[in-house]
Amino acid sequence: MTHTSFFGGSTRRDFLVLLVMMLLGALVPSLLNRGLIFIAGLVWINAVFGLAFNLLFGLAGVLSFGQAMFFAAGAYAAAALMQQLGMPFVPALLLAGAVGALLAGAVGAVALRRSEGVYFAILTLAFAEMLHLLVANIGFLGKNDGLSGLARPVLTLPGMPGVGLDLTQGDRFYYFIVAACGGMIALIRWVVSTPFGRALQALKQDPQRAEFLGIPVRLHRLAIFVFAGTMTALAGALVAPWAQIVTPELAHWSNSTNPILYTLLGGSAYFWGPVLGAVLLSAVFYVTRTLAGISDLATGLLLLGVVLALPGGVLSLLDRWTGRPKDGERPQ
Amino acid sequence: MLLSDVATLLVNSFTWAMATFLVAAGLTLVFGTLHILNFSHGGFFMIGAYVAFSLASALGGSDSIAVYLFGALAAGVAIALLGLVVDRLVLRRLAGVEDAYVLIATYALLLVCEGATKLVWGLKYQSVMPPPSLDGAWALGSVVVPRLSLFIIAAGVAVYVALEVFLNRTRSGRLVKAIAADPWMARLLGVNVRLVYTATVAIGFALAGLAGGLLVANQTLSPTLASAFVIYAFGVIIVGGMGSISGAFFGSILLGLIDAIGQWLLPGLPGLPFFVAMTLILLLRPQGLMGHAQ
Repeated sequence: MTHTSFFGGSTRRDFLVLLVMMLLGALVPSLLNRGLIFIAGLVWINAVFGLAFNLLFGLAGVLSFGQAMFFAAGAYAAAALMQQLGMPFVPALLLAGAVGALLAGAVGAVALRRSEGVYFAILTLAFAEMLHLLVANIGFLGKNDGLSGLARPVLTLPGMPGVGLDLTQGDRFYYFIVAACGGMIALIRWVVSTPFGRALQALKQDPQRAEFLGIPVRLHRLAIFVFAGTMTALAGALVAPWAQIVTPELAHWSNSTNPILYTLLGGSAYFWGPVLGAVLLSAVFYVTRTLAGISDLATGLLLLGVVLALPGGVLSLLDRWTGRPKDGERPQ
Repeated sequence: MLLSDVATLLVNSFTWAMATFLVAAGLTLVFGTLHILNFSHGGFFMIGAYVAFSLASALGGSDSIAVYLFGALAAGVAIALLGLVVDRLVLRRLAGVEDAYVLIATYALLLVCEGATKLVWGLKYQSVMPPPSLDGAWALGSVVVPRLSLFIIAAGVAVYVALEVFLNRTRSGRLVKAIAADPWMARLLGVNVRLVYTATVAIGFALAGLAGGLLVANQTLSPTLASAFVIYAFGVIIVGGMGSISGAFFGSILLGLIDAIGQWLLPGLPGLPFFVAMTLILLLRPQGLMGHAQ
């Protein structure tokens, strides 16, 4: 049996880690320039994107190659609801999450029933490409140009005009991202710690035995697929007002590979793996941004090196140094 | 719809089908034997096209079919050599690694290919003129058939026939098939399985490079060429049955027709019928039209 660290750290320790991360994140605007603040916001969003993917891959053992579909669905839903239909931000955000849940429910109900392994990966990729083609060809969604000039929101309370929080000013939307992503990360960590999360771990190790023990394997996989889709769509919905533009590129299959990169780089057997991976890859992109090609080359070589030489990801190195036993194995 | 429109639609869909088959052939061969679904195949196809492009520029353009074919063969050889390096450094180490990690490792290789292409050839769109004898079109009544289309269709059929003859009629080809079917038994019978794997990789990569060289005049060259083609190639080998050369051949014809008919019916959504067909096949017959259930 392969040991993984999803439950290695206690929930309390992980909430403490999250708190420290959020405090550090809150210091970013006073320490770094505008460009880096923007990147820091994206890192938070990508951390949620990666963590949601790893709920499927690291926790439940399902490889999805189509997570961009939920990210793009959330981003487009938020953008279209706010810009085209004039809906306030919070309901638009929640509806975007619901769109992700519905989409994941539909795709998961079909795809999880009929396929496994590489076939499931390719199937999710094909579904995501369909969404990519749809958003790139629908006039309401701006076709190939996407929707641009998206405004950052002002939070208001219904029935109480004049009372509100203006997120268009300064770095306020960045703080909102830190709070929202922190909340989502806490929720994801909580789900991992529930009996449901443990059942997923069991069915990843041995689906047949889990079924015998009374775990409804298919239903559990569908449930986590929908939850991951929802979290991914919410992350996408945050990117729309942050980047102030959504384009069909968000739905392209290369965007589906981003959470995979974060997860493998950081370590799929660790809860914090995708977060570390998102930070590291953003740093690689930032350092190599000036020369076209170098960033692809560096990312590719890094990922190849991790898969071939360090299949446990960067966090397994930490385990090796701190002498925790038998943790660098490839999760099965 | 006029008869000439039908003819044009057929010519276009067969051209697409054979172009895609040329890329898919090596992909399905490598999957059939090594059970590696190689994302980077599209990347090496792209590098093959760029190699042919560089050769054509160095020679001052290809003025005859012979020179054009020479460029394609040279690209095939170059990519086959690259394949030997990749086999040595990466593919060999993937034996026994879980499927998901293999898929991700070959995706990493695709990123390396794209990065290298951007560094060597730049981000600019490039193009290669076909040799004069392949330029222009024949008019058969009201149907206009570009010569380059006929060349690509002929090249696709030729590669298909050559592969079928090799795999079914030659000793080495049968050895590849035997190992694909049962590597353990083949090893027991004294076959050097490692050597055949390496040879298969070399042939698969050579096919990628050859496809790049043959299609270079049909395609605008840019670093996005790889990701576009590899998804189409995935689609046709899934529809045809992964690992089957005939499956890739007929799968690409079928998907080409479906896509062409779909575009005629739904002109606003190019490409959608392809993915719908691919999804339906994956759901209803995951082993593909010509594959065997595992």
